[in-house]
Amino acid sequence: MTVVALIGFLIAGLMGTIRLVRGPNLADRIIAMDVILVSLMGAIAVDAARRDDPANLVLLVVLSIIGFTATVAASRFLTLDQTEESS
Amino acid sequence: MSIVAEILMIAGSAVAVLAGVGLLKFSTAYARFHSAGKASPIAFIIAAAGVSLELGTSAGALLLVGVLAMSLTLPLGVHLLFQAEHRTGDNSHLIIDELTRDQQAAPAADED
Repeated sequence: MTVVALIGFLIAGLMGTIRLVRGPNLADRIIAMDVILVSLMGAIAVDAARRDDPANLVLLVVLSIIGFTATVAASRFLTLDQTEESS
Repeated sequence: MSIVAEILMIAGSAVAVLAGVGLLKFSTAYARFHSAGKASPIAFIIAAAGVSLELGTSAGALLLVGVLAMSLTLPLGVHLLFQAEHRTGDNSHLIIDELTRDQQAAPAADED
């Protein structure tokens, strides 16, 4: 039954990749990457439940910090040309 | 596998699919950020609740650290993304734009 959960996270990841490909500007691509990362984390958690061993749950903390750092760095990069003009 | 854990996991993946649908269907960038930035951590929290029911307390503690790490940091990243989009994108479609009004009203703050 939990295959349905895995398939749901897969669909969410595919939708994120569609937005990643089609996204008009960079900010949409960053948020699409975030959605893909979160669906990956959900799939890892469900897979740990299916396999019944909590070995790779540590991955989730690493993935969330990586996702956060990537989003912040990319949004900083987005406003790079703005900060030069105002300073 | 207990039925409650399965239901929670499927509900979490359903919310994740809703985040994906919100990402694709909304027209303006702000609506997309809002749906993706809100729905994705909630999806992970619901799925993690189901998984922790299944794997017991030691794995639940690990999942709690993951949920806390995500729910403390993801909104901040999405907020920065909103700000970056507000600066670079065109805000003509906004009906009420208080950030631009406040920025223009507070030029003194930039000097120091």
